[in-house]
Amino acid sequence: MAQIPNLDNAPLNLAALREQSQKDLLNILRSLRGKKCVVIDPKLAGTLSLILQTSLLKEYGAELRLLTTEPLQTECPKILYLVRSQLNFMKLIANQIKSDEPKGFQREFFLYFVPRRTVACEKILEEEKVHQKLTVGEYPLYLVPLDEDVISFELDHSLQECLIEGDTSSVWHVAKAIHKLEFAFGVIPNVRAKGVASAKAAELLNSMQQEDPVNMDDMGAPEINTVILLDREVDLVTPMCSQLTYEGLLDEMLQINNGSVEVDASIMGGQQDGKVDGKKVKVPLNSSDKLYKEIRDLNFEVVVQVLRQKATSIQQDYAEVKATNTQSVSELKDFVKRLHSLPEIARHVHLAQHLQSFTGKPSFHARLDIEQTILEVQNFEICFEYIEEMIHKQEPIENVLRLIVLLSLTNAGLPKKNFDYLRREILHSYGFEHMPLLYNLEKAGLFKRQESRSNWIGITRALQLIVDVNDTAKRSIEELLKLLPGPHLDLKRGNSAINASLEVHQGLDRVGHRSLVLVVFIGGVTFAEIAALRFLSAQEGMGYDFLVATTKVVNGNTILRPIIANSKEVMI
Amino acid sequence: LLLKESRELERNPMASKGSPLHGPRARLIEQAHRLFAETKEHVFESKASEEHAKLLRSQHELEVSTKQPIFVGSSVSDTIRTCIVMGNERAALKVKSEFKVPDKRWYWLKSYALATVGNWDALEKF
Repeated sequence: MAQIPNLDNAPLNLAALREQSQKDLLNILRSLRGKKCVVIDPKLAGTLSLILQTSLLKEYGAELRLLTTEPLQTECPKILYLVRSQLNFMKLIANQIKSDEPKGFQREFFLYFVPRRTVACEKILEEEKVHQKLTVGEYPLYLVPLDEDVISFELDHSLQECLIEGDTSSVWHVAKAIHKLEFAFGVIPNVRAKGVASAKAAELLNSMQQEDPVNMDDMGAPEINTVILLDREVDLVTPMCSQLTYEGLLDEMLQINNGSVEVDASIMGGQQDGKVDGKKVKVPLNSSDKLYKEIRDLNFEVVVQVLRQKATSIQQDYAEVKATNTQSVSELKDFVKRLHSLPEIARHVHLAQHLQSFTGKPSFHARLDIEQTILEVQNFEICFEYIEEMIHKQEPIENVLRLIVLLSLTNAGLPKKNFDYLRREILHSYGFEHMPLLYNLEKAGLFKRQESRSNWIGITRALQLIVDVNDTAKRSIEELLKLLPGPHLDLKRGNSAINASLEVHQGLDRVGHRSLVLVVFIGGVTFAEIAALRFLSAQEGMGYDFLVATTKVVNGNTILRPIIANSKEVMI
Repeated sequence: LLLKESRELERNPMASKGSPLHGPRARLIEQAHRLFAETKEHVFESKASEEHAKLLRSQHELEVSTKQPIFVGSSVSDTIRTCIVMGNERAALKVKSEFKVPDKRWYWLKSYALATVGNWDALEKF
């Protein structure tokens, strides 16, 4: 099965969007005659794999390379750099071009920025004195369909940039991407935003429409009815909790990248020759896989049961076929048809088994318990001691920070005594070089000193956020479902321009066909939240289809990791 | 501005990470400590950088006395653990008291360290 998702069932014609991006890229390739070497930055390579097959590039006479610090080794007379507009890439490119000079090649260099050129980048090229050797262009790739109902803007560090570095260029990117969608599907009549960045994106979207209006004459009714913009900052609690849906767990444990996970071949039951050991295989995960579509959003415990059921029912069928020889052809046909789903079942059985090796551990359950206790804000001491112990055991710092952030968020910060104590313990256990990290977390409001009383309890009560633990089947889904709408955050953030509330809106448009709502998460969305939205739109009497757009699919670790890495980087 | 400056200093010493000369590094951090101390809001930062400098110095001493360049750059906990693994309980205790390590952490570190080297007898006694 291909990694590129099948978009036939998308509520919007996303396939057309993807084809357009594909065509744009191929046009760039075509514009360079002859053999060429395409140098891509590593992150973008992953993104592009969602748009087209790499083999297609070869058909256009292109050699593929990843951008590294090494000088470029290639025979091609034309070099095409295809990179995101990041400053460090400019240096790399400049170095490669310079190292090429003494060799006396006659080469042409092309540089295409994704999605657009920036002044800062070009300035660096000028400083490095290579800009005259380069032909600069743009490849306007603003969004990539991840699945039939999920779009990604592929902005990995949007949250960190907004919260810590004060860099809001990602907000512009989001607005631009939505504006591009409007060119294809009509001006979206309703815009709702929640949070600072969202409000800003909504404003930008308006001014873009004024400067560069979408001509509505030759289009039918707008296909997207409403866009809801939400800041991740508004709800940082959700990503810090462990996800319990199948897809969420896969992401937590194995990390889903560009719609696939990479696992050891041995886990997937690869050939037992012993030779495949240590080899990684990519397992695509998207709605093209019917079984995955069915189980991705379910609680993991349920998934295991479903898989077992499927397997046994096929086994029974098989036994029947064997027992009774007088099968009609049509019955046989049915049976064979069901056998076709076997590889899918096998694939997910392998994955589930692997996940169970994590979820079966007592430490996993202990962690879930603690998360629950923290959310209920009942026993501060227990939570505090648990975290303290984690630090003492020097468990991976991400895991520790996730809980600390959760504790700090739900308590509106920690009392000074505890705050300083934990910080000191962290510095002692993990090293003093984590000082800037603590500072950044404080700046982002993720881990801070208590200044006011927490309104968390009030919020949770009002919205019934926490559902009984024993209700395992849909616990995470319902918990999140109620976390999603943002009215409570109005209390916290009076500055949000427009109120986003799903509930208020729900009753208005019941008549006629279901209208499409584009839900944009600035700063990332978790798989469990996507699951919650799917669950919502599957409800009876729900007048809406949801299309999720996000800067990036995230979980607690992927939010914290760049902050940790970045804080270290600054020091070196 | 002052804050920025001391943060800069806090970062700078890391550039010399791994260099055998940790004298200047410790001094830089002490400078940061003083800058932090000048404002009231940064008591914690000030204390932390003071401890950091102290740690570097005692690590340096440890390296000289054990003739093994494995201490500098590790955390307080790691230092204690390394000491116990090497069987140098006295040095570990010294670090413990110097940095006011809470007993709870101390027990974790000690039992963990003893278990890694398989010193079950000592673990039994302890």
